[in-house]
Amino acid sequence: MSFVVGLFAAVMFALLAPALQLMARARGWTLGAVMLLAIAAIVTHGLGVMLGIFVVTQFQYWDAASIFGFCVMGYVFAFGAVYKSVSLDILLSVIHRPERRAPLSDIVERQVPALFQGRIGNLVDSGLVEPVDSHFAATAAGRTLAGRVGQLRRAFGIGDTSLYDFSD
Amino acid sequence: MNMLPGPAQAAAIGLSVALPLLLLCYARIAATGGSGRRFRLGCVSIIAFYAIACIALPGQRRFDDVLGGLFLLGTAMMFCYILFSLLAWGFTLTLLTALVQAGRPLTLEQWAVAYMQGGDLGTFTHNRLKLLVGAGMVITADGSLTPTAKGVAIARLVKFVRLSTGLG
Repeated sequence: MSFVVGLFAAVMFALLAPALQLMARARGWTLGAVMLLAIAAIVTHGLGVMLGIFVVTQFQYWDAASIFGFCVMGYVFAFGAVYKSVSLDILLSVIHRPERRAPLSDIVERQVPALFQGRIGNLVDSGLVEPVDSHFAATAAGRTLAGRVGQLRRAFGIGDTSLYDFSD
Repeated sequence: MNMLPGPAQAAAIGLSVALPLLLLCYARIAATGGSGRRFRLGCVSIIAFYAIACIALPGQRRFDDVLGGLFLLGTAMMFCYILFSLLAWGFTLTLLTALVQAGRPLTLEQWAVAYMQGGDLGTFTHNRLKLLVGAGMVITADGSLTPTAKGVAIARLVKFVRLSTGLG
């Protein structure tokens, strides 16, 4: 029964999380997508635990938490896979064309540079990079974050190209 | 309410904490291969340790305890993968680290070259396209990109996930 309560809380999360994303966009909230997911997870987990305490006589917290965590992380995993994926953006742009075909040159010369500029815009908006005349420079916050990312990459033996290694 | 995890769940919680530590250790062993392979190896190791723990722990195993443990392990693996993939293949994050590594303000074009470590955005595009082609989602012929039936199905799934998670 505790598993059912955890599953019910996960369903509540799956309803609350998109509602929060839509409300954030409609009302211009400054909270990021990941923060909204975290809020939805905390709220629905709390509600699930309260429900379990009141409804199940021998409520097993870890049974409920395990299935809740698994479903929520599955949701976040799917969210992350489609959120700002360069490969999927390319696929969707080809599908959206009436002839369902795109010249490679168009993707290389137009679409990817546009994605590149969009991501730079994200970095500027989040205060990690600032435009200086016709140049871009990292802010103090950007340098700190980059330093931490570099340390983690070195510790985990990860390269710094962000390219997929197909020999892997 | 019982807040204590069962024996298998406790083992799963311990192994979940151990996963990033195991990845740190594997990073120091050259034979473990690239980032992706190393992560898969870490997951397989953790599942093997969990199976051993389920057999070796004293007392009879309860199904809900073992199932809860598997959910917890799955949660930890997905959580670690999200962070690991962000470090390894994150486009925006690598843009930032490339700018910081350059050590001076860069123009858009210089930034693209720094990001690709001497290459250009075409190299990056072909790397991401290789993923789509390798997964059988698109085919390239006569300088054009055409989606396969699988690619169209994936694109529909992506649109459904984007819609249902509030990304639009």
